[in-house]
Amino acid sequence: MPSPSTEREGLGALANRVVPVALVLLAWELVTRAHWVNPYVFPPVTEILLRWGRLFVDGTVYLPLWDTLWRSLAGLGAAIAVGVPLGLLMGRVRWAEWFFQPLFSFGFPLPKIALIPLYVHWFGLFHLSKVMLIFTDCLFPIVLFTYHGAKGVSPVYVWSAQSRGTGRVRMLWRVVLPLSAASIYDGVQVAVVVAVLVAVVSEMVSGGGGLGQLMIRAYRYGDVNTAFAALLTISVLGFALYKAAAWLRERLLFWHVGEA
Amino acid sequence: MSARLALGLSRLAPLLLLLAAWQAASAAGLLPRRVLPPFAEVAAALWALIASGELWPHTVASLTRAGIGFAVAVAAGIALGLLMARIRSVQRAVEPILLLVYPVPKPALIPLFMIWLGIGDFSKITVIALACLVPVVIATFNGARGVDEFLLWSARARGTSERALLWRVVLPAALPQIAAGVRTAIAVAIIVLVSSEFISSDAGLGFLIFSYGGVGADDAMLAVVIFLALLGYFLDRAYVGLLRRYMAWHAFAQH
Repeated sequence: MPSPSTEREGLGALANRVVPVALVLLAWELVTRAHWVNPYVFPPVTEILLRWGRLFVDGTVYLPLWDTLWRSLAGLGAAIAVGVPLGLLMGRVRWAEWFFQPLFSFGFPLPKIALIPLYVHWFGLFHLSKVMLIFTDCLFPIVLFTYHGAKGVSPVYVWSAQSRGTGRVRMLWRVVLPLSAASIYDGVQVAVVVAVLVAVVSEMVSGGGGLGQLMIRAYRYGDVNTAFAALLTISVLGFALYKAAAWLRERLLFWHVGEA
Repeated sequence: MSARLALGLSRLAPLLLLLAAWQAASAAGLLPRRVLPPFAEVAAALWALIASGELWPHTVASLTRAGIGFAVAVAAGIALGLLMARIRSVQRAVEPILLLVYPVPKPALIPLFMIWLGIGDFSKITVIALACLVPVVIATFNGARGVDEFLLWSARARGTSERALLWRVVLPAALPQIAAGVRTAIAVAIIVLVSSEFISSDAGLGFLIFSYGGVGADDAMLAVVIFLALLGYFLDRAYVGLLRRYMAWHAFAQH
């Protein structure tokens, strides 16, 4: 993400950021209100915003929002619960590294989305197939970032703990895990974005509720306003989860040296 | 070379072990066919799909969509990123919009673009281009902004014009970062491609996976999934290979 320009702070900087976006929105509004484009295909901004508001007032949006949210978090949580121990193991134990590292680095860039039909076949159309796919997709960044963190732990700490008689399992939890925390958290930041994306795509493809289904249904009825409102909700959800993860990071890693 | 070969084999071994375990579990009856067909059958289905030529039109359809979207995104993204880095007003105009687009999960744009541009190739290519554009612009912008000022000063002192500066100094200096952004875009293109073909299409690898899955032909479905994975893998390898060859002057892509 481009870092914010720092040359002018305060109100001026804020205006600089808001004005281009406002101009685009204004142009959009004027073009659509002037009926230069088909309003069914390209509705004015204000109508989209009104529909967005209405989805919240009449309550249509809450159930899909809740479905997408908890599926993302459940898949992400499971990926953290499995991925962090696995990544630590890979970072410290030779055979685990030999076996898992090639598999995870090979699989990381591959489109796990392609497994949707298989997962529907295995886990059904509803919650489980989606949570499992989110879990699968999030596992890769979390395992790899944890592994790199654990691999980078200075041996000095390990030696000093060993000399005090720390056992192997205790070493993972008490020494390697805290020292890899910053890297693990980078993995979680990546995985949060992945989780929402996979949740929405799998809902668009195989239904079963959620914001993705809300959007695809709006598309089938040709209801651009609702499709747009769903997109806005999805984007805000993704952004909010990302920000929440960053906020949690600051709270959890306040003690960590040399980390922002 | 033989050391690299040994390393490659040692890295390939876990995958082969996994496939062997899959086949053994199927043969021993631990893995019901209903859950997962034996690996040998999946491999046979893949071979049949290749030999009968059924796979090629779909591969071509997918690669055309992804390729056009990707190429447009790379060309536009590098140009836009360079302009943003060099011209303050462009940066002011584009950066807030980019920040707004950044958190949107791009496949979620597919339904909207299908409304706007129809369900054909055009909407898919546009979403792929948009999704690939973001990492390329950001990488180019960051790379071009981080160019060593001394390089700029010394080029200017020798009378290099501002336009030549962009092409002869800023672009080469930003290339390593651009190359990394483009690599991300390759992976993004495939993800958005498959998503869009799942949602609506009548050709392409995503369509093929979805229709075989729909009729319960699990061996053929898995065969196409494996083919897609291999395709993605070799595209990435080929790209890294190209970088190694043509950007050998930079200590880049050592892995």
